[in-house]
Amino acid sequence: MENSNSYSPYSSSSVDSTKPLPSESSVNLSLSLTFPSTSSQRETSQDWPPIKPRLRDTLKSLRLRQRGYNTALFVKVYMEGVPIGRKLDLSTFSGYESLLENLSGMFDTSVICGTRDSKHHVLTYQDKDGDWMMVGDIPWDMFLETVRRLKITRPERC
Amino acid sequence: MDRRFPFKVLEHIFSFVDSNEDRNSVSLVCKSWFETERRTRKRVFVGNCYAVSPLKVARRFPKMRSLTLKGKPHFADYNLVPDGWGGYAWPWIEAMAARRPFLEEIRLKRMVVTDECLEKIAASFRDFKTLVLTSCEGFSTDGIAAIASTCRKLRDLELRECIVDDLGGDWLSYFPETSTSLVSLDFSCLDSEVKLSDLERLLSRSPNLKSLKLNRSVTLDVLESLLRRAPQLVELGTGSFSDELDPEEIAKLTKALSELKQLKSLSGLWDLLPEYIPLLYSLCPRLTSLNLSYATVQMPDLIDLLSRCSKLQKLWVMDLIEDKGLKTVALCCKELRELRVFPSGADLDETDVTLTEQGLVSVSEGCPKLESVLYFCVQFTNAALVSIAKNRPNFRCFRLCVMEPFAPDYRTQQPLDEGFKAIVERCKDLRRLSVSGLLTDKAFEYIGVHAKKLRMLSIAFAGDSDLMLHHLLSGCQSLKKLEIRDCPFGDTALLENAAKLETMRSLWMSSCFVSFGACKQLSQKMPRLNVEVIDEHPPKTRPDSSPVERIYIYRTVAGPRLDTPEFVWTIHKSPEVGVSRLSIR
Repeated sequence: MENSNSYSPYSSSSVDSTKPLPSESSVNLSLSLTFPSTSSQRETSQDWPPIKPRLRDTLKSLRLRQRGYNTALFVKVYMEGVPIGRKLDLSTFSGYESLLENLSGMFDTSVICGTRDSKHHVLTYQDKDGDWMMVGDIPWDMFLETVRRLKITRPERC
Repeated sequence: MDRRFPFKVLEHIFSFVDSNEDRNSVSLVCKSWFETERRTRKRVFVGNCYAVSPLKVARRFPKMRSLTLKGKPHFADYNLVPDGWGGYAWPWIEAMAARRPFLEEIRLKRMVVTDECLEKIAASFRDFKTLVLTSCEGFSTDGIAAIASTCRKLRDLELRECIVDDLGGDWLSYFPETSTSLVSLDFSCLDSEVKLSDLERLLSRSPNLKSLKLNRSVTLDVLESLLRRAPQLVELGTGSFSDELDPEEIAKLTKALSELKQLKSLSGLWDLLPEYIPLLYSLCPRLTSLNLSYATVQMPDLIDLLSRCSKLQKLWVMDLIEDKGLKTVALCCKELRELRVFPSGADLDETDVTLTEQGLVSVSEGCPKLESVLYFCVQFTNAALVSIAKNRPNFRCFRLCVMEPFAPDYRTQQPLDEGFKAIVERCKDLRRLSVSGLLTDKAFEYIGVHAKKLRMLSIAFAGDSDLMLHHLLSGCQSLKKLEIRDCPFGDTALLENAAKLETMRSLWMSSCFVSFGACKQLSQKMPRLNVEVIDEHPPKTRPDSSPVERIYIYRTVAGPRLDTPEFVWTIHKSPEVGVSRLSIR
């Protein structure tokens, strides 16, 4: 998509050249003015432009979609052996950790990524090629592009 | 026999005085008016929860039925206030629970509300009817369950854009099994799924329900079943609008939507797919409010929809609507009063929509009742602002966010001073203004002089010097709230205009150039102001000349607050500095 209207907000062309040159004491200030201040307390926080967090999150997932990524952020989740599945909106999670946490709560058991063993429920997913893969190997954003459905495997019995 | 009106007569007269501003004026006339007024006030509004103590408020208004409180400053909405700053609802809930058990309505904005608070509300107010929490945080769905199960007369439960510890959708099943008195239910900010059967049953036994706002996890395939049980709805916030439905499901849903004969307001519509827009056609002619901020629909489809909404008064939409779409709005939505256009490219690197200043100009030309605008745009021109001001002198709220900081008029390369001058000169009723783009001190001189009714002003990345702040604080007669970020001032202006700050509710300044010394001086000079220095990373030593990250100043009769976190400094934490006069509680 041709992007003819891209603006670098911090390019010097946007600064009024008729303003007096900053004096030394205000140099630090003008440096801080060229970048919006960020609250370091939150992860990927941004405070400019001034829009509320919920809208900002919605826009993130919109952009994923605009770039042609997986449009269905709602995926079906099955627990192996249980015929009725659940539905989950993956765009509400920030990463694998929050996904696992939520699944563990939803299915009332501990769900992990990793190799199958006799104790834990391991999370797997079906990708856009139809193959069943282990969750957690690829970056989260890439995972969102390719995941089609989730399956929680039962602990392996010897 | 003294010449005062008998209490009963005054009481009767005051019962016609609704607005709290008027009631405040009435209270100042004389002692007996003060007494009569306070005994008759039912709706109490406290704009800053730290301006007055909960105990005082509880004692002053014995007939209080409704309490509205605001906590954190407005810029907290944009992550500018660190977590843990304050705004705790508990002291208020506790005070009211002990003294005003007949309280029926509590509305809180930007406050920290815990499950404990919610449980206390549920346990203490027998006739509790209305809970509206806007941009609040600190509670979980357990607290909501407590309200649902215990408040038998509950009419309104609205969680607007709150951050909730979502432990699952069980809370919905806690409403009493018998018929409920619910009139409005808003859980749109929750993430987890509620059980369809719980929701269906609740709707079936809530005959008075007029407003229902679902959360995103309510999928489209179940919407029909819900609407069938609540055809009397006046306001509907749908859940996700993107699942694939088969033709039979589509037909059923279309029918269910067309049965909503009373529906005036529509929102939700997450991920609205263009092929589902025709389903909404039957609602359009009656709609007065449409919130498409989560509907990522492109311009041609928006035009399709909006051209049918001739009664629309309030429209919230993304900039995907583009200038062309706004032109349609200007042609078709002649009743429009409020327009908000949000940026779809929040990171400034995705600006490939054709939304320019022209869109807003069109709407200002075509919509004679337009009085409130929030407009995000990449750049603007003075000419456009002048046109807009000429077209629409009836603006009461004008918020323009030119997203590129310091962006001048892109045609003339001039600052946007003249444009905003036109706005404040012509729009004599302007109550709220947000400015942006390249602005010199001159712009603020104009605002100071002309914006006589302005109560709230927001500024970012603007001005040249202290003069800017000085113009505002020495002018703007009605100014109550001023919030400023990333502007290059201003010890001098602050100290010179200290008295003005007592006439205002609050002043917020972040990433400006206020020194620690000035904060100390201001605190010493003005004991009836709370001056808070909010530094997430305070230096080990703080010389007077060091700049502070954020400063929040507000008038108060409650004295220093006792719940400040470590990163908030007030003069009371530096006893060696001393205060000129101790404030009285």
